[in-house]
Amino acid sequence: MSVVANYIPRDSAVHRLSPLTKLGWSFLLMTLSCFFRDPLVLAGLFASIVLVALAAGILKEMYPVFKGLLFIAGLFILFQIFFISEGKTLFTLIPGTGIGRVTDLGLLGCLAMGARMIVIAASFPVLMGTTQIKDLVVVLVEKLKIPYPYAFMFVTSLRFVPTFMQEMDQIIQAQSSRAHRLDNKNFIKKFLSICPLAIPLMVTSVKKAERMAISMETRGFGVGKRTNLHVKQFRAVDAAVCSGMAAIGIAMVVLHFRGILL
Amino acid sequence: MIKVVDLHFKYGGVDLEVLRGLGFSIEKGEFVALIGQNGAGKTTLLKQFNALLTPTGGSVEIAGLDTRKSSTGELARKVGFLFQNPDHQIFMPTVAREIGFGPKNLQLSKAQIDARVEEAAEAVGLTAYLGQNPLLLSKGQRQRVAFASVLSMKPEILVLDEPTTGQDYQEGIEIMEMVRKLNELGHTIVFVTHDMELVAAYARRVIVLSRGRVLLDDSCRNVFYRPEILKQTNLFPPQIARLAQMFPERHFERPLTVEEIYREIVNLSENKLNVCCR
Repeated sequence: MSVVANYIPRDSAVHRLSPLTKLGWSFLLMTLSCFFRDPLVLAGLFASIVLVALAAGILKEMYPVFKGLLFIAGLFILFQIFFISEGKTLFTLIPGTGIGRVTDLGLLGCLAMGARMIVIAASFPVLMGTTQIKDLVVVLVEKLKIPYPYAFMFVTSLRFVPTFMQEMDQIIQAQSSRAHRLDNKNFIKKFLSICPLAIPLMVTSVKKAERMAISMETRGFGVGKRTNLHVKQFRAVDAAVCSGMAAIGIAMVVLHFRGILL
Repeated sequence: MIKVVDLHFKYGGVDLEVLRGLGFSIEKGEFVALIGQNGAGKTTLLKQFNALLTPTGGSVEIAGLDTRKSSTGELARKVGFLFQNPDHQIFMPTVAREIGFGPKNLQLSKAQIDARVEEAAEAVGLTAYLGQNPLLLSKGQRQRVAFASVLSMKPEILVLDEPTTGQDYQEGIEIMEMVRKLNELGHTIVFVTHDMELVAAYARRVIVLSRGRVLLDDSCRNVFYRPEILKQTNLFPPQIARLAQMFPERHFERPLTVEEIYREIVNLSENKLNVCCR
């Protein structure tokens, strides 16, 4: 899962687009997913993300991410579906008892929530996989006028996601070697069993942050105005893609308010 | 004690095999060094010994237990694993509780845990620090805490992944001396290091890994006196062995340490003196 926030170098049209265009795409998908509740429409939005990953040549790398998201959405649906009692009963897990009742509204509602969650989460790894972090910082600072320290903080936190995942893996291995068990059935014991993992992760993270702060200061962070050697230009193709996305977005919203797309 | 048969391993999502058909046995009481350049598969091999990783082909047996059928927790009674970075495991508020974490997981009684904590702390020279916060100790001391927490589980096999990394010379020697004492008590030791002087001083057997295969598996002396093979994997014998090989006509008895070459030089000088006097 370290691929979640990692740049995957490829020579594709998606990679060459301005980070601003890709940020817009990601934002548009998130917005549209909030408008719709029909699982089919949301599945269509997810399919568009898969197509973009395919066009960018990173579908293979994104596969475990998508698989993980589908699994989490599946769990989410499973936990929610039995708690919605409105609508017509489709089936019950234990017939005649009412235990494990699944209704049509419950099924549709849960599928929509799961699909929405996937759409909101899935565009982000594709954005990060096709955009270099330094290009993203430049866009955030120069185009969106976000103060550099905030933009830097944002992208640095993303940069450290895979590092912390690796650290966590090492910590789990170290504690498992001391016969530490994470598969407790008792909820309180399960919660407490996280402490041997969380504390070393926190300590190593704080140490890493401290080292990074020193390293940044020694290299002149925050001194004077920053300039950028390479700025990824917003080209005609970006304008065309943005216009296309805007047109599709507006069309979908209009169709939604006319009751054609739900 | 450790039996590796045609071991193959590759990480999920990566086509390349990291371990490609390894086979060897390690008997009880052996002191083995695993050496090889970065990426040779040393740490990956070590992690097979307590089922942190399991073979994708072949098998690894630890004291008769197949690692594919045993959990890391089960194997923790047999195999103690000392990681490079002690900060990946330290989380308790005192050294005593940190050392006692493993025995507690083994569900020992409080009296047994206390006895093991004292014994392990004494072995690594941390008795005076038992009430202190381990996170406030120096790196060398934290590594000792980690070592004591492995010892407190009384494993028959000790697996050490670069145990002296980040330590000064004296701290490194102290750790290795502790390991030597444990070996003398009958523990089986397998350690990974890039420090050839350390290998020469402590290991009795050396396994050289190169690109996931065993390149050499022999006594320390036999391995370090085959520089042409070691060179294939960018390894160089310790300086004393290299120096001795520069004087082939002197017929040194293949020394590995400063003490050994010193004894040979003294012997040579005495022999020459005897010849002159006669």
